[in-house]
Amino acid sequence: MTALGQSLIDALALGSLYALIALGITLVYTVMGMMNFAHGEFIMLSAYALYVFAGLPFAAAVAGSLLSGIVVALLAERVAFRPVRNADLSAQLVTSLAVAAILQNVVTVAVDARAQSVETPTSISESTSIGSISVPNLEFVTLGLTAIVLVGLGWLLYRTRTGLAMRAAAENFDMARLLGVRADRVIAIAFAISGALAATVGVLIVMQTGQVSPTMGLTPVLVGFVAVVIGGFGRMFGAVIGGLLLGTLSSLLGAYLPEGLVAFRDAIVFTFPVLILIFRPHGLLGGEIGKARV
Amino acid sequence: MSGAGFRSRPSVAASLLLPLALIAIATLVGTNGTPSLHGTVTLILCNLIVVLGLQVFVGNSGVYSFGQLGFATTGAYVAALLTLPAAFALLQTPGLPSFIVDAQLGSLLSTLIAAAASGLLAMVVGLPLMRTSTLAIPISTFAFLIVVYNIVANWDRVTGGSSGLVSIPTTTSVESAGLWAGAAVVLALAFKWSASGYRLQATREDEVAARSIGINVMRERLIAFGISGVLCGIGGALAVHQSGVLNPTTFYFGATVTTMTMLVVGGVRSVFGAVIGAIAIATVNEVLRGVEDGASLFGAISIGEAPGLAAIGLGLILLATMIAMPNGLSGGREAGELPWLRWLGMRASASLPESYGAEPNRRPVDPAVNGALRAERISLAFSGLRVLREIDLELEPGEALGLIGPNGAGKTTLVNVLSGFQEPDSGTVTLGGVDVTARSPTRLAHDGLGRTFQAALPFPHLTALESVAVGAMGVGVSRRRAAAAAAEVLDRLNLLEQAALPAGALPPGGQRLLGIARALAIQPRYLLLDEPAAGLNEAECEKLVAILRSVLEDFGCGMLLIEHDMSIVMELCPRVQVLDDGATLRVGTPEEVQADPAVVESYLGSSFLVAADA
Repeated sequence: MTALGQSLIDALALGSLYALIALGITLVYTVMGMMNFAHGEFIMLSAYALYVFAGLPFAAAVAGSLLSGIVVALLAERVAFRPVRNADLSAQLVTSLAVAAILQNVVTVAVDARAQSVETPTSISESTSIGSISVPNLEFVTLGLTAIVLVGLGWLLYRTRTGLAMRAAAENFDMARLLGVRADRVIAIAFAISGALAATVGVLIVMQTGQVSPTMGLTPVLVGFVAVVIGGFGRMFGAVIGGLLLGTLSSLLGAYLPEGLVAFRDAIVFTFPVLILIFRPHGLLGGEIGKARV
Repeated sequence: MSGAGFRSRPSVAASLLLPLALIAIATLVGTNGTPSLHGTVTLILCNLIVVLGLQVFVGNSGVYSFGQLGFATTGAYVAALLTLPAAFALLQTPGLPSFIVDAQLGSLLSTLIAAAASGLLAMVVGLPLMRTSTLAIPISTFAFLIVVYNIVANWDRVTGGSSGLVSIPTTTSVESAGLWAGAAVVLALAFKWSASGYRLQATREDEVAARSIGINVMRERLIAFGISGVLCGIGGALAVHQSGVLNPTTFYFGATVTTMTMLVVGGVRSVFGAVIGAIAIATVNEVLRGVEDGASLFGAISIGEAPGLAAIGLGLILLATMIAMPNGLSGGREAGELPWLRWLGMRASASLPESYGAEPNRRPVDPAVNGALRAERISLAFSGLRVLREIDLELEPGEALGLIGPNGAGKTTLVNVLSGFQEPDSGTVTLGGVDVTARSPTRLAHDGLGRTFQAALPFPHLTALESVAVGAMGVGVSRRRAAAAAAEVLDRLNLLEQAALPAGALPPGGQRLLGIARALAIQPRYLLLDEPAAGLNEAECEKLVAILRSVLEDFGCGMLLIEHDMSIVMELCPRVQVLDDGATLRVGTPEEVQADPAVVESYLGSSFLVAADA
């Protein structure tokens, strides 16, 4: 029972992390229709900000990381993604792949191809006991942050004018523009929030692993993509569900797979979405993508 | 291979020979160069085969796959394990079954088995993946790439794990790589110009229109995915027999970006583009690698060692191409489709035969299957909004029925139900007495149901002739006969002069007529036309009426005509059905309908009455 409770909390924490990644990707997808490959690199760069600001107090370094995430996302939007805004989905996807490759290798050249270790506050790596279960403090932080982000995003999208504009743009971009929604602004805001979400994830990953590397964004972005696909494209709620599902699966597999198979956990985790897609080709919550428009 | 009927001999020859010549030149440079150049050129040729594999799927389907390097990995490992000397195999892969260790195959046989294995894997993996949507495929194929990586990196006893394999026999020479690359070019072009290749290209141009002419999108994608897997497997197998070493990252994310860059820079839709893109990017890559290793430029500026620089360069090139030149260096055209052929005074398109040699474009009259198209009590609601309420409709063979009504009456939705694009909540559609309600648009096209759409939905990058011919190919007509049949249809619609133009270059009126021609090419028993005259000027309208009249007379198919221009409906349709608010208001002759006060009030408007009186 204890072991099960422990795994469930671990699973929920990992699922929350994945949900944050999927949210960042979905947000950009809804306003621009682009699956952003470079989101993983936003995560990676914000993590490197922690490495660069290592001398500062941790809170200041985290603030720096958040700012880096936002700035990088806005820059990428302005320089690379705005020119292909009207291109088809595939062209946008390849463009974001190019941005990902550039950012990844810029860090390789500027720092090093090898992983660098980053010091994080020791209080994070300690655990708190609840009854017989001992929960790492980081998992509390992850769960808390996810809750804050979800409430904050909900408030922004459903209680503010900006959120209304974003939801309108998500429904029908051209129509929203005709009605006076400023496209550049809405997209920029979506990227900024997406960058902030990426930074949150980056900081959480560093606090967990204690290191940064140029390729650290690859697995998160795939996780995010897959979660978005499972959830049904362009659904905020679907992204959260997809992330939670994937994280739970990954965490439980890690805990309960026989020893010889643990190494193949990723292979199993990433095969799972394909199984879902066989039965529900448009994801669990079924987005509009791929449906025939006649 | 010849692409008969679509392009001239010089164009076919140029499309084939130019890329082959480039490969021959590269091979010659490699043979006569230094040993290091020898190796470099061999690897470039192996890469080219992978890029051609990518082109077969991505170029023709328009759907990006980030998983094709997983098939290169598969091919490479299969080829390596089949040829690894027993002593090394014992050391590196203790878990390998002895029959594989003892196989000790030659390079040719191991390459062929590697090709078969990766092709088979592509078909197996593709079966579920191709069912998913156009946007989900890039992501699920990317997931496949990671799955393959995860397996080969951790299955230590069989694959050597993350440290990889060494001492693999190096049997690939520049010449053999050149020959394989040449064969890959021929295969890629042969596929592109095959009926299957054309059907796949139609799905790339417009998925909905492709389904309406009987194309099974999933099946065509799967075929190309399999062929792509074979080519990628060959590329991987040859490459590993050049370098002699292999590890899980050899064909992973980096190689995915590199090969994708080569294809996009060259121009995805073109085999020629794949070749020039691969060679150009490989050359740039070699130069950048030289810089990376700390070479000095012109003896003056020396740059320190900086790994990653080449990858940044490639990323920037890819980005710049996507922004400034999305069609790539080749413009998406084959070597024989570029303007230089015209400068030499030659035609790129085939001259059309005097007699098309096709049988009269009419389905054999079989009363058993040629019965009426009948809809009974069709109802449909979109989230509570009732769009169709218990509608009946009957269309006899050879009959023209006008379907009119105000905007939002449910006319297009009814046509969508009839053509399988929309399943009704209740009610049945029968064709010659057979219930076809649940059949897909693809299946219904094979059953003889052709349709057009409110938008023209052209296949912009196919020529007008190809656009129409692919309609015939969609229902299984061979490519050669499809070309002749398409020429005949175009002739009847007075479009023959535009046959060689890209469909995207036709004026709106021409594109609309082309949509009708495309639907006629499937030899429909029933043709459903959704506002064919929308956006046409008066002269074009008159032409359209004449054409539709000749369609009724010559093709002998039943016609359902949605049209707002009443004069067209009156002229063509002896019977008219009026819809209003999702229900049938009236069925009758044009005169009866016009005289009905309810119809006048809901749709025609009182001014129409005045005009009719005058």
